[in-house]
Amino acid sequence: MQAKQYIGEGWKHSILIIGAIVVLLPFYMMVSMSLKSQQEIQSISGGLIGAQEVQTFPVCVKTGYSEETCTTKPYIYNYWFAFEKAPIPRYLMNGVIVTLSIFIIQVLVAMPCAYALAKLRFYGREFVFSMVLFCLLIPVHGIALPLYIMLAQAGLVDTYSALILPWTISVFGIFLMRQFFMTVPDELIDAARMDGMGEYSIVWKVMLPTAIPALLAFAIFSVVAHWNDYFWPRMVITGNRDLFTPPLGIREFRGGIDSDEFGPMMASIVTVTVPLIVAFIIAQKRFIEGITLTGMK
Amino acid sequence: MHNSKAHIWFIAPAIILMIIILIFPLFLAGGISFTDYNLGNKSLEWIGLENYEKMFSRKTYVKMIWATATYVIVVVPISVVLGLCAAMLLNSLRFGADIYKTIFFLPVMATLLAMAIAWEFTLHPTLGIVNNFLANGCGGVREFILGLHWLPWVDSQQSWYHVACENNMDFPYWLKEKGTAIWTICFIGIWQAFGFNMVLYLAGLTGIPRELYQAAEMDGAKSTWEQFKLVTWPMLGPTTLFVVTITTIRTFQVFDTIEILTKGGPSKTTYVMMYAIFEKAIQQNLTSIGAAITVVFIGFILILTFFQRYVIEKRVHY
Repeated sequence: MQAKQYIGEGWKHSILIIGAIVVLLPFYMMVSMSLKSQQEIQSISGGLIGAQEVQTFPVCVKTGYSEETCTTKPYIYNYWFAFEKAPIPRYLMNGVIVTLSIFIIQVLVAMPCAYALAKLRFYGREFVFSMVLFCLLIPVHGIALPLYIMLAQAGLVDTYSALILPWTISVFGIFLMRQFFMTVPDELIDAARMDGMGEYSIVWKVMLPTAIPALLAFAIFSVVAHWNDYFWPRMVITGNRDLFTPPLGIREFRGGIDSDEFGPMMASIVTVTVPLIVAFIIAQKRFIEGITLTGMK
Repeated sequence: MHNSKAHIWFIAPAIILMIIILIFPLFLAGGISFTDYNLGNKSLEWIGLENYEKMFSRKTYVKMIWATATYVIVVVPISVVLGLCAAMLLNSLRFGADIYKTIFFLPVMATLLAMAIAWEFTLHPTLGIVNNFLANGCGGVREFILGLHWLPWVDSQQSWYHVACENNMDFPYWLKEKGTAIWTICFIGIWQAFGFNMVLYLAGLTGIPRELYQAAEMDGAKSTWEQFKLVTWPMLGPTTLFVVTITTIRTFQVFDTIEILTKGGPSKTTYVMMYAIFEKAIQQNLTSIGAAITVVFIGFILILTFFQRYVIEKRVHY
């Protein structure tokens, strides 16, 4: 019996390990390419990190850097040159600006509305709630074209506003917060009112602190979705590099398989992809919770 | 209760934004799809159903529907089944489940665009490790397994693997060939989606009471498969419904991999709807036809969701 169980366990692990290898394959390729020299990449040699021989990189010399600067180990060269070629910090900054703005506005709009729907009685409440439920069905990417037309008519294409505005309303956020607020006992709110608190302070000083876990999950969901979003920025940002978000930056680095050097290109892609992955690995339980709890996109 | 008018200020911003950002665009897309409007035109003309007629008669758009349907029909069931299998395997492990969970969830988190490029290189005929792996396996075990030589009806001299080996390692250029491009795109879609489904299923599995398995065993369901049929699968009904709907909606919206890897080609085999909207309306400035595609697209999604909410939902509760 014991032996049989161990064999069963072994089988399961071998299946899962094959799966894990397939899943990790592109990650391996990405990291490996960002560390190796062009020759090693083209001859598929050198394993994960390559031989790391000090050498002079011709593309670098051609770009106008001194021979001394261009003579180094491949991994240093790849990452250094990636930052020389493209304003990577700028793209990351844009990513932070856009995702944070979106999240903050979403919360500012959704919290009071969710509170009103959960805890205030007023004429038309059911109607507003059914409107929220209906809007939940509309995928924002699906209506990207009419939104684009509206922004174009307003002259907002190629601005931060274009990146942020369409996402300012998160019906899912309203729905989620409302469900959460329903579980908050009325006594808590009544007590706050007795203390003379206005409805505004109740939302921000009483409800907000109780909602931190739900809010955190929503924050992760929102930030991950918009950090990774490529479709919408691709629609509304046409040429202005100053507004590029990380995915648009990635697209720019790629420049096609025929581009002169793969090492620095992959180094840029790794740099842009890594922050979120590291955050995920550090706080994976919260991430998995956030993304699945709010599994709507 | 209280007599404040606070609620008006609380709900007004949300209502206004919902109307402007979510509801009005539906009507705008609907309206434009019946005209010949192009962005930048001063005037427009009502042309009735012409855009829709084009959509259902021209070859390009027929191919678009075909590509989208293929992608959805392949990716949804496979990624759901894989997600379920992975969840059940992990659930029955004694150790190590957390590591696999993290690994399988990585593709969900990672920027899909970056991963698409990574896959492009992984699958590249001269630079990629996949074709290199295949080429090194000619005449060996890999050829036997992957060339399906173990199937009785496959002639080992005629298998795709053997033929490629014979023709100077002529393995497919996965993303650029007509016969393989859509399947490769599907593969990347499955690779990206199944970890998400796995996590939802893991949550579903923890909700099944242990007593049910004991009861099933007493009723004579001894084998794992019988217990799965009798307990696990029915108990996971609501999870499955949710997983299928979410995956379908997400799958319909595939864009990143197509735009960066195939641009809808070769010969429109990967020309999915989101990419068509982008290409027609933004790159070629054919706004009205883009609007018509948008309407059909939204129609698909709404039908699907209503189907989920009102038809099936009544039947999955045990």
